[in-house]
Amino acid sequence: MRKLVSLFVATALALGSYAAYAEEDDGELAAEIALPDSGHHWLAEKPVGTSVGPVSAEMLLAGPSDPSRWLLYGGDYKNFRHSPLKSLNPASASKLQVAWAFPSGTFGQFEVSPVVYGGVMYVTSSYNRLFALDAKTGALLWRYDHQNPKNLRLCCGPPNRGVGISGDLVLMATLDAHLLAFDRKTGEIRWNVELANYKDGFSATSAPLVVGELAIIGIAGGEYGVRGFFDAYDVKTGARVWRHYTIPAKGEPGNETWAGDSWERGGAPAWTQGAYDAETDTLFWATGNPSPDWNGDDRAGDNLYSDSLLAVEPKTGKLKWHFQFTPHDLWDYDANTQLFLVDTKFDGKPVKGIVQANRNGYFYLLDRTNGKFLRATPYMEQVNWATIDPSSGRPIVDPKALPSEDTTERVCPSNLGGMNGAWTGAYNPELGLAYIPEIESCQIFQKGIAVYTKGMPYLGGLPDTKDAKEGKSYGVLAAVDVATGKVAWRYRDPFPLGGGTLSTAGGVVFTGNLTGDALAFDAKTGKELWRFRMGGGVRSQPIAYQLDGRTYVAIAAGSFSALDAFMGGPKNTTEGGTLFVFALPGK
Amino acid sequence: MTRVAARVAAALALALAAACAKSTPEPKAPSPAVAFERDPAALKRGKGLFIGTCGAYCHSLHDGARGDVPDLFDCAWKHGATDEEIFLVISNGVPGTRMVGYKGVLPEGDTDLWKLVAFLRVESTCASTRP
Repeated sequence: MRKLVSLFVATALALGSYAAYAEEDDGELAAEIALPDSGHHWLAEKPVGTSVGPVSAEMLLAGPSDPSRWLLYGGDYKNFRHSPLKSLNPASASKLQVAWAFPSGTFGQFEVSPVVYGGVMYVTSSYNRLFALDAKTGALLWRYDHQNPKNLRLCCGPPNRGVGISGDLVLMATLDAHLLAFDRKTGEIRWNVELANYKDGFSATSAPLVVGELAIIGIAGGEYGVRGFFDAYDVKTGARVWRHYTIPAKGEPGNETWAGDSWERGGAPAWTQGAYDAETDTLFWATGNPSPDWNGDDRAGDNLYSDSLLAVEPKTGKLKWHFQFTPHDLWDYDANTQLFLVDTKFDGKPVKGIVQANRNGYFYLLDRTNGKFLRATPYMEQVNWATIDPSSGRPIVDPKALPSEDTTERVCPSNLGGMNGAWTGAYNPELGLAYIPEIESCQIFQKGIAVYTKGMPYLGGLPDTKDAKEGKSYGVLAAVDVATGKVAWRYRDPFPLGGGTLSTAGGVVFTGNLTGDALAFDAKTGKELWRFRMGGGVRSQPIAYQLDGRTYVAIAAGSFSALDAFMGGPKNTTEGGTLFVFALPGK
Repeated sequence: MTRVAARVAAALALALAAACAKSTPEPKAPSPAVAFERDPAALKRGKGLFIGTCGAYCHSLHDGARGDVPDLFDCAWKHGATDEEIFLVISNGVPGTRMVGYKGVLPEGDTDLWKLVAFLRVESTCASTRP
C-alpha cells in the first residue's frame, strides 16, 4: 500500500498537480494524502447478521445478560457497563491475546463503545466512519465514511462514541449534527435527519440511546453559545417526536436564572448519553456548562438547567424534576458524566439512587425517584474549588477559585475534570464499587473578554494548564464504594486517564491509558493483572462479548494529541486509530 | 511648444517619474500593531481578547504547541511573519484547520484584530519579533 501511495504522489507531482494534493504552502504534504476517490459507502456483498432477528425492546432492557450481545453504550440502561462473563476473572485476564485488529484510518479520538449483535460488531471512528465487522475475525462487512464539511464547529476534536441499535437499524450521530439510520445487515441508509445547523455551533458526538420506539440524542456546542437540547426521534421513520431545550425560554420556569437575553446563547449542551429507568419510566439526561465558559458577567444567576441532571418523561420529553450540581458555573464543570442507576442504602435505609462522579470532583448520590440530594463526597485526590453543603448539595465556592484577569490561583479539578463525559465508568453490583477514570491536573482559570457571534467560539477565558505545563498531571482509576461515597482503592497512572471502563462478573476492570496500554485490574483490590501496549492513547470504551464459547474484549486505541497535551498527557504519542480485540485461549 | 513637443515632454516626465518611483520606493507605513504595542490599554484589550477567544482548547498562553494547534509566541509563523500576514490569518482563518476567521466578529472590528497582533508581538518569547 505504501508503494502505491508513493507511486500515486509521484505521478501527481509529475503531472504538475501537486497543489491539488497538498493544502499547505510550505511544501509539506497535507496530513491526509489524497488517495484516489474510491467512494465513501461500501454495502455488504450479501446481508450480514442474519442469524438473528430484529433487536427488540426486551433485548435492550436485558442489557448484556446474553453475552453474545453488547447493545447499549452503557451496557444496560442503568449504565453499569458490567459484563456477566465470569470467564474474565483475575486468573484469566493475563491470558488475553490479540485475536484481531482493525485500523480506522482517521486521526482524532477513537472513543467508540462498539455494539455487537448477531456476530457483527458495529464500530464508529473519529470523523464518523462506521464499520460493520465480523466480531470473530475482524473482516470488514460494510463501511460508511460520512462526508463531513471542512468547517465543522468542534471544541475538542472529532470523536464519535458509537451507534445505537434498534430493530434492524443502527444509528449514528455526526459531527455536522445529523442523525443517520443504516440497515444493520447491508449498510444502506434508511433515513438521515438534521438535528441543527452545524454552522451555528452545533455538533453531535454521542451514541444515541434507544428507548422503546424512540432514539434519543443530545447536542454539543457549549463552547459556541448554542441553546442546548436533546431530541427524541421515531426510530422507524426519523421523524422528530419531541425536543427538550435545556434552557427554559422566556416565561418558562427557570428562565429568570439568566440575566437579560443571555439564555439565548447560554449553552447547557446535552452531548453525552443518559440513562433510563424502566421501573419508573423515567429518562435521565445531564447537561453541560453555561456559555461563555469562564466569564459569567452577562449571565448573572444560577443559569438553569446548565450543569444539571434532568429527569424527563421519555414519551413526551416533559421535565419531572432537576438537580443542578454547579450553579453559575465559571470553570466548565459540565455535569455530563455517566449516570449510574444504583439501588443502595443511605442512612441505613434502602434508596433508589442515581450516582455520578461529576466533573467538579464530587461523587453524588441522589434519590432518583424525586431528585433529592443525599450525599456528595470527593472522589479525586485534589479538589479545592468548593465544598458541598451537606443538606442542599449546593457548592460553597472558595472565592480564590473564581476566574479573574490576573489570578495565579491553582484550582482543582481542571476544566476537563476529574471524570469527563467523553469516557465511561463502570459499576460492579456484587462489590458495590463504581470505577471512575479521572484526570488529576489543576489549572489557573483566567478571565478574558467574552465575544458572542453565532457559530464562533464563545469562551470568555481560558484555563492556564499549569500542572500539564509543569509535568505534574497524572491519572487515577478510583474505585468508589457507592454505599459510603469513599474510595476503596486507587490506581495511579503517570498521565491523566481518558479511557472508559468495563467491569466483569468475574471481577476484572478494564481500561486504558494515554501511553497506549490496555489495562486490567482486580475489581476488588485494584491489583494490576494485565497490560498490553497497543500504541495509540486510549480514549475508548471497552466492551466484552462471547461467541461460540470464546470470550473477547474490545478496546480501541487512538487519541487526539492536542487534547492529550491540554490534559497533561504525553506530547509525543502518534495519532491514528486501531481497534484491538483480545480473546481468551479457546476454540 | 508644438503638440508633438508637448507629447514628447509629457512622455519624458512620466518616464522620469516612473524611474524615480522605482529607485526610491516610498517607505512602508508601520502596521497599527506597532503603536498598540506601546499602549497599555490596547495591550490589555489584546490580552483580554486572546484569553477570552483564542485559548482554552485551542491556543495556549505560553504552554507551547498542542497537537494541531501551533504556539503563537515562538515566532515560528507558519503562514507569514509580517504583521499584515498575521492579521490576515486571524481575519480569514486557515481553511481545512480548526482556525476560523475573525473578520467582522470582534466588537471593535479590525482595531481589535490589530490589538491582538500587538499582544502576540509583545508576548513573543524570541529575541526579534519581526522579520
